[in-house]
Amino acid sequence: MSVPDRDELAELALKRVVASGAEYGDIRLLDSMTQAIRGEDRRIASIRESQDSGFGIRVLYHGAWGFAASSVCSLEEAPRVAELAIEIAKGSASVASERVKLAEEPVHRDRVVTARRIDPFAVAIEKKTALLLETMETVHRQAGVVRSSASLWASRDRKLFVSTEGSRLEFDLLALSGDFDATAVHDGRFATRSFNTPHLRMGYELIESANFLAEAPRIASQAVEKVKAPTTDPGLYDLVLDPEHLSLTMHESCGHPSELDRALGYEANYAGTSFLTTDKRGTFRYGSPHVNLVADNREPETLAATGYDDDGVACQQWDIVRDGIFVGYCTNREVAPKIGETRSRGSNRADSWGSVPIVRIANIGLEPGAATLDELLVDVKRGVYIEGHGSYSIDQRRYNFQFGGDAFWLIENGKRSHMVRDVVYHGITPDFWGSCDGVADWSHRRRYGFITCGKGQPGQSGWMTHAASHARFRNVNVIGGQAGS
Amino acid sequence: MNTTGHKTWPKLTSREEFRFLADLVLKHSTGDHTLMSLHDQQSGTTRFANNHIVQNVDTRRGSLRVTVAFGRRHGTAGTTDFTAGGLQEAVAKATQIARLSPDDLEYLPPVERQQYTTPPTTRPETAVAGPARRLEYTNEAIGQCRMENLGAAGIVSSSVATVGVAASTGLFAYEERTDARFSLTVQAGEATGWAAAAHRSIDHLKIQERTLTAIDKAKRGLETRELPPGRYTVILEPAAVAGLWSSLLRTLDAKAYEKSTSAFSGKLGRLIVDKRLTLRNLPAHEDLLGCGFTEDGLPTVASDWIADGALTQLAHDRFTAKKQGIDKIPTLDAPCLSGRGSSLPTLQELIKSTESAILVTNFWYIRTVNPTDLTLTGMTRDGTFLVENGTIVSAVKNFRFHESPLRVFNQVAAFTNPSEAITSETGKLLVPAMTLREFNFSSVTRF
Repeated sequence: MSVPDRDELAELALKRVVASGAEYGDIRLLDSMTQAIRGEDRRIASIRESQDSGFGIRVLYHGAWGFAASSVCSLEEAPRVAELAIEIAKGSASVASERVKLAEEPVHRDRVVTARRIDPFAVAIEKKTALLLETMETVHRQAGVVRSSASLWASRDRKLFVSTEGSRLEFDLLALSGDFDATAVHDGRFATRSFNTPHLRMGYELIESANFLAEAPRIASQAVEKVKAPTTDPGLYDLVLDPEHLSLTMHESCGHPSELDRALGYEANYAGTSFLTTDKRGTFRYGSPHVNLVADNREPETLAATGYDDDGVACQQWDIVRDGIFVGYCTNREVAPKIGETRSRGSNRADSWGSVPIVRIANIGLEPGAATLDELLVDVKRGVYIEGHGSYSIDQRRYNFQFGGDAFWLIENGKRSHMVRDVVYHGITPDFWGSCDGVADWSHRRRYGFITCGKGQPGQSGWMTHAASHARFRNVNVIGGQAGS
Repeated sequence: MNTTGHKTWPKLTSREEFRFLADLVLKHSTGDHTLMSLHDQQSGTTRFANNHIVQNVDTRRGSLRVTVAFGRRHGTAGTTDFTAGGLQEAVAKATQIARLSPDDLEYLPPVERQQYTTPPTTRPETAVAGPARRLEYTNEAIGQCRMENLGAAGIVSSSVATVGVAASTGLFAYEERTDARFSLTVQAGEATGWAAAAHRSIDHLKIQERTLTAIDKAKRGLETRELPPGRYTVILEPAAVAGLWSSLLRTLDAKAYEKSTSAFSGKLGRLIVDKRLTLRNLPAHEDLLGCGFTEDGLPTVASDWIADGALTQLAHDRFTAKKQGIDKIPTLDAPCLSGRGSSLPTLQELIKSTESAILVTNFWYIRTVNPTDLTLTGMTRDGTFLVENGTIVSAVKNFRFHESPLRVFNQVAAFTNPSEAITSETGKLLVPAMTLREFNFSSVTRF
């Protein structure tokens, strides 16, 4: 088997595609390296480094798609896979009753590299394991803590995208994260408190600046406080939500419904459709005038800011919700023309060389307002302040949701008083965002990334970052987190 | 396009080739112990929506994983490069990691050579099925929906994989596994109906029968009424039962049990559900997706997990099993839930015997709300109906539930014989349809 040159392999494959009479084709060659170090209960349970290499070829023949991929990166395999993709596209075309027409995109030739100060793969493994072990030891010094975990994760993608239209894009992208938690027991119950760095595209400086060892005592003591905390009475409460918590709320209740492929029914059999149907664009009141949700795939260090998406479309910034009105979707070259848009928003991504790109949520963030956190809290008589992620569930059109959190404090007469446990709030998306009456300013803005956003069949994991400042919501339905409540 | 079968080239890694690769890795490794695993798969999916194919894919992915250990220090490297150079690089990387790792007090060397039974993990008709067969099934489902003027969204998929584990202890396991799936959501305006299947044999997907089921559900949903949240008697179809049981089975971890961070802590040997219910693992069952061995190379075993309502088993890793003196670690690759005593043969009989209930086709987005009492939440989906006096009288708007399986499976009124169940969020199980009393629906959504 010959050792392939990536450009040679791409050229060989795309020549076949062009010769078949297909109107469009592209190839992505990807070499991914992932390092995952996982600690559990004061031990390093596993250290894994995985290399995942392969290529995927996409063919549009007579308006119908075919895709084939292989982990055998050889000059012998490339023509076989190209022919298979063409054969599959022809099969799709044989039963198609409407044709896919791609939105226009200029030809791009570029190279995108994640800026990094410290290469995470060059940092000694002993340094990383020592950090995780010391973090877990610190957590266990707190009386009442019985379990802990800590982990570091790093990924590097070296990708080449070439299309029959002439685009040639090279990528060298990093992503990184770290986390730890503490679990405490009390009176037959247990509770976990977590600390997470955001997933971001940067170097190991992300972990160094997170300061695990300084945070560990706080997380451990809050785990104990959480398990001993009283429950709250069900009822209507004002909620003040922190940026990490909001990242999940935005992801589920704004991100997914703003994916145009969902609104058009492509995901009806799995991830679901969307209540944000195309007739609502430009007129539907999604939230209060305080709510401005902006997609920004150009913000440095964020997960979806890859320069170009897997359609070869340049990353962009656009509005999803402006002054509370739903105005825009996340799109790709296939679905954008279906709502009369002449250019894709550049939000088409695949999770590996072996997956076909699909519309993914952009880096959607809540635009900061003008308040300080204290100003948001001060006129709350009876409320709950929520930090971090907990339980979450939402219906397949993204109306009815229920969220927990990682930590909860009661707000009484304008001040955070004490921790409470088992808080779950429930809402209907536009009602909930309609109850938002304040967003904190830029100084409170934080970013959180997701790398396990499930969508597609076969299932794929989407990556994106959601940024927010604290926000306040009035009269939200809080229910108990126990069986049958 | 070839409509009789799929080109089988390139062949997946054979037993002999895996043995060759394993010998190469074991020869190059300087570790005290070395473990190697193989997963080589050819898989394809035809995906459709709005009665059109929107995605048609075929992927060959081969991967190898090598774990090297020195004493209790271990490291793992994975690769998709099956060349001699690629393997040597993986061994070198795993070795480098192992040498730099701290001692892991829970590390155990790979298991010795094992004896395996040969469950029916592969079917030739699935192994040779390719894009043409998937297209044929897709057309069948779309065609039936078009005839009814309804919209079809779904998938037909098939895959064949060779899987192996080998170690310096003499361990060697290898088998071929096939998997075929069909899933369909039928849209009738706002209403949806759903059906799904998974089987080792692509011939057993029953496309026509399941398409008709989904069509029937969608058509019944054309007129929907809204009921208030509250406690209802429910008839859960097998997929809905599978959703709740999958969440329960995922939390049987022995270490969490030992550390008192499990909903089951202190409940081993005690009744946790209705005493008529028994859960067994049946790897050799033809309608389940059991396999011959685990990732560690341990043989899968037929075993009881819940016997007459009592929890009899926990999910052990090798370390907790050794600590507890358990020789044969029970596996949960092919779960079957059954009821003892008078069961009704079919779902239709169950409906006929019910005075008033909510019939649930499937649950969606099931998540744990409270791990201490295993309170779960989730939504009903793709066919929720009101049953009165033995018949379905109307569709109802979807509910959110807020409930613990440890409570509701003690409220069993009736059940059927076990049947196949698969959802987008669960593996495959055999479970009965069940009637449960006082099931808590905490809110209603807008459709």
